[in-house]
Formats: sequence, structure tokens, C-alpha cells
Amino acid sequence: MNVAFWCSSNPGQIWTWRYTPFLGVWLVAATFIGGYVLAHRRAGRALDPRRLRLWCFGVLALFLVSEWPIGQLGVGYLATVGIARYIIYSFVAAPLLIAGLPDWLVDRWFPAGTRRERTLRAVTYWPVALLLFNAVLFGTHLPATIDGLKTTQLGSFGVDVLHLFAALVWWWPAMRRAPAEPNAIQEPLRAFYLFASSVLMFVPAAFLTFSPLPLYGLYELAPPLWLGFDTLQDQQAAGIVMNIGGGFVLWGIIASLFLRWAAEQQRADEETRQLRNARTLERIRALETDRDPTG
Amino acid sequence: MRETMTGTRTHGHARTGPSARLVAAVAAIAMLAAACGPASATAIAADGLERRADGWHGLPLERERQLPDVQLEDTDGEPFELASDLRGTPTLLFFGYSSCPDICPIHLAAIASAMDTAGVDFDELDVVFVSVDPERDTPEQIEDFLSNFSSQMIGLHGDLEVVEEALDQLDMGGPVVEGPDPRGDGDLIGHPAQVIGFDADGEAKRAWPFGARRSDWVSDLPKVVEEWS
Repeated sequence: MNVAFWCSSNPGQIWTWRYTPFLGVWLVAATFIGGYVLAHRRAGRALDPRRLRLWCFGVLALFLVSEWPIGQLGVGYLATVGIARYIIYSFVAAPLLIAGLPDWLVDRWFPAGTRRERTLRAVTYWPVALLLFNAVLFGTHLPATIDGLKTTQLGSFGVDVLHLFAALVWWWPAMRRAPAEPNAIQEPLRAFYLFASSVLMFVPAAFLTFSPLPLYGLYELAPPLWLGFDTLQDQQAAGIVMNIGGGFVLWGIIASLFLRWAAEQQRADEETRQLRNARTLERIRALETDRDPTG
Repeated sequence: MRETMTGTRTHGHARTGPSARLVAAVAAIAMLAAACGPASATAIAADGLERRADGWHGLPLERERQLPDVQLEDTDGEPFELASDLRGTPTLLFFGYSSCPDICPIHLAAIASAMDTAGVDFDELDVVFVSVDPERDTPEQIEDFLSNFSSQMIGLHGDLEVVEEALDQLDMGGPVVEGPDPRGDGDLIGHPAQVIGFDADGEAKRAWPFGARRSDWVSDLPKVVEEWS
């Protein structure tokens, strides 16, 4: 049992608004961008400005929620910011990073027929990806995990890596959906796939919102940022953030993807109908020409 | 009593896959990132106090002790005899200061919230906060501080010598000036971090050190009211 009988500056790191750079976060961000550019150079490929922009925005999202102050607040002080970090990792950074990857780079990193490619294919098969994403969602929000891992820098880093990995795996079949892509899922399965996760996300969100006691000792025993904002209010706000971020924002994405798919379907139907009409018209004209004795 | 209180595999596609050097570099970056990233703000284990064999979470006190026989002042400026004015009702006594950045507000918020959750009323239990910082803690400051948790908590203050005498009677040390507050708000003051529980006769029964969570209080408070009244 680790408790304190003396109140001193040792037990807690008092929050101040003095900038504290996290060099590890800068290093990871630099590695992501440097590695992307280097991979293009080594392959002799020109950088696609649109994809580079998407990749950089993904890295920027990761950077902003990992660096001070958001990183520190989320890991050590406020559950609300902790959940917001998870939402940004999962629903902003991960899809941007995948959208920023050109097909040739994926083929280069995961060459066809290799064990790496087979692993990727196995992990991103949609039922597996769905299971993995939700296992990480539930597992990393258990009080024992948060209180056990986030109290160390290595544990905290490990949880962040796990969140990003699970989100990349989860988005993969939904975003890389060219017909030639293995494991690509199409509408309406894709809408169901995304919807299933948004519904499951309401479960931990409900625990956060409706628990009568603080679930995480880490946030409960952390020095308060300001008086009057209770740890239970923070936890309830975290539940709402997970509901809104994980639920309603994801539903917005699902709705827009579904509407886009419906419009594509409608356009395809219209083209098919016009083609059929044109052929029918040609046949009628051909028949009329055959019947015309003067023709 | 003082002693108990202070106590890769490579393959044919080597040119297209990450080399061993790359893997090592990524591992090194990961280790460095882990070592230079954010982590929890509290060094205290977050799993709370253990439930003891007797069903309590608070720690039993080994030596007999009574409410300190000292006179302080409440926030209305009225004299307050700790030993006599608190008899008749179980009491939770805590020494702290209103500028305290961590332990004091965390303890008091936990007690107030747990009382609400457990259905324990302030008529059944006195929660007393004694300032160890007479220079900065004016009655208004104490009242303002306590109002963040519950305006029904009793705030007391007095000369430093009187506060030290009260602490001494409880075999507790302090207060000690520990140096400047990093928030730029005067000095940090070291003081005992435990809440002491007294029964209605003024006898000290148990202590809850910092690390006690609301779940610990929710479990113990009904017992305090039932068994110590």
C-alpha cells in the first residue's frame, strides 16, 4: 500500500502553466514526417502534395494531443482530456495517416506474399479489426489498466501506441477499399462496421457518465487544476466527450459516407438506365428501318 | 505514535522492408519517447486503501489519544475549544492550508462527496479543518476555501504556537515551510497528510492517510456514524 502521511511537494506534481516540452513527442513526430519523406526519396517517387498534407495533419493531430499541455493534462490530471486524446488518436489522426499513405508505399512496406503482408491481411479482416479495436477500447479504459499503466511514462506511452495501432487497424478495411484491396469492405457493410463500434463505445461512456464514484484513482488523486471542478464532474464530462466524439461524430462520418455511397449508387443506376434506354431506342430504330419498304 | 504516522526476422524483400538498423532505431526512438513523454501527476498508488480484516479501510491507531486541548477560532471569530466543543459527535480532523495545491483539496473533496454518496449528514459527523498557515489563512480565506467542498465544514485557525501544540498533542509534526510554490503563490507548507477520526467521546480511533479514495470513505463513513456516536 503506497500512501502518504506527510503533505509535501513530493506526492504530486503540481500543475503549472509553465511550458514543459516532451522531447519524446517531438522525436516521434519528426520520425513520422522524416520517415515518410525518406521513404519517397528511397523509392525515387515524388511527394504527392495532397497525401503529404493529409499525413502531416495526422502527425499534427498526434503531436498536439501528446505534447504539453494536452498530453500532460490528459495523462495525469483530467479524465475529460484523457478521453478527448483517445478520440483524436482514433478518429482524427489514424484516418488522416491512412489517407496520407500512397498505395505503392503500402505495397513497399507490406510486399505481397510476405509474412508481414499476411499479418496485415489477417489483422485488418473486418471482424478481426472490429474485435481488436473494441478490445483495446474496453481494455485500456478499465480502471486497473489506467491506474496501473498511466502512472509510468513507459506504460502511458504503451497505451498511446496501442490506441493508435488499434485505430489504424480499425480504419484500414473501411478506408482502403479499392476493389483490388484485400479486406476492403463496401457499403452497406462499411456503415454497419462503423456503426457497430459507435454503439459499443456508448458502454464505457455510460460507465463514465453514470458511475457514482470516481473510477480512476489516477485522476481522483491528482492535484486539482482549479477548485470547484470535482473529479466526478470531470469523469461525467469525459463520458459525454466519449459519447459525442465516439458516437455522434462517428455517426456524422457514417451518415456522410452512406449518403455519398447512395449518391454514387443513384448515379450508377441513372447511367445504367440511360444506357438501357439508348439501346432500346437503337433497337426500335433498327426495327423501323427494317419495316420501311422505301428504306 | 509518531512512528506509525510518519512512517526481425529478414527475408527476400530486405530492400523493401525495414532493416535491423531501422527496427533498432525505431525501438530506440520509442524508448526515448516513453522516457520523455507525459505521465501521471501523482506518485501515490491509485488503488486506494486496502480493506482490512475488521472491514475498515482507515488505519487503526496504536496509541490512545484525545482531541487536543487547545483553543482556536472559528471563521466567525468565535473561540472554539477543540476538546470540548467537538464532543458528542464523531469528528474527522484535518490540518492543512487553503493554498495547498494537492492533498488538502483532494482529501476534503473526497470526504464531502463520499458523505453525500453514503447519505451521511453533517449533523451526524463534524468535519474540521485547522489551518497550519495563520499568515495567509484569514477567516474569509478559510471560509472561501471550504465552500468549494461544503460550507458545513468547520474551519478553524489560531496562532502558529497553538496549532503546533495541537499537532504535538496528537504526536504529529509540522508545519514546515518547504520552499516556494511553483505556481508563484507564496510557499508550500509541509504538514501531516492524514485525516484523524475521533469518536463522540473525543478519542482518536483511526487515520486515513493521503491515498484514501472516495470508495474508502463511502465504506467507512457509515461505520464512523454508527459505531462512534
